[in-house]
Amino acid sequence: MAINESAILKSELRWAMIVGGIVAIILIAILYAAIAMHVNPPSNREYVDPKTLHLSAEFTEANLGTRVDPDGHIVARVIATQFEFVPNCFVLPANRDVTIRLTSPDVIHGILVTGTNVNTMVVPGYVAQVHTMFTKTGDLLMPCHEFCGLGHSQMLATVRVVPPGQFHPGPDGRIACGDRR
Amino acid sequence: MAEPSYPAGAHDYASDAEELNRLEAAMDETPRGAVIVSAVAVGLLLFGWLFLYFFVFLPRGTVG
Repeated sequence: MAINESAILKSELRWAMIVGGIVAIILIAILYAAIAMHVNPPSNREYVDPKTLHLSAEFTEANLGTRVDPDGHIVARVIATQFEFVPNCFVLPANRDVTIRLTSPDVIHGILVTGTNVNTMVVPGYVAQVHTMFTKTGDLLMPCHEFCGLGHSQMLATVRVVPPGQFHPGPDGRIACGDRR
Repeated sequence: MAEPSYPAGAHDYASDAEELNRLEAAMDETPRGAVIVSAVAVGLLLFGWLFLYFFVFLPRGTVG
């Protein structure tokens, strides 16, 4: 008779092995992506005073947007505030490692860039940082994805991803959406 | 099915045994179906997870 205690135990053990195998497959896939492909949740613990952002060295108005550092590192700095991003459009090259750094002077916001894995919360008092590489060119929508108030649905920015050959920053290393060079 | 009638106070052990046999026969078959249903459900879930992971998540590029 199939239904007795040892048969139940055997079938439960078999299921446990199957479930263990499935968990192992998923863990291996996640570890492979994390180690070999550098796909990780963005994690950056960096503090900034939200009351004096405009006086800080990094997030002053003149320093916002995309800049190529002297070491060649491409960084876009953006402030998320009720209910807009400053700047509301920034340019980044495709197929290059880029960093997006964001912070907020008021309430919690969140961003995602459509069609990519870029997705992070923007919390006042902290600098959110995402490293990525865009593979497709075009204007990608970057909406606020954390309800931040009545104007939340109007809070959008554009990430203009251009081919590396069309990414020509100025002598100061800066490039903006309106630039025609 | 008509209820079997026996005198008050008497217990029909023969009927009990027959009932038990029928139950065991049914239970002998039932787990096979349950295993197939659960295997299909778990297989579909795993397939869905792997499909989204490899064909949606990873092609969206690196992030960290």
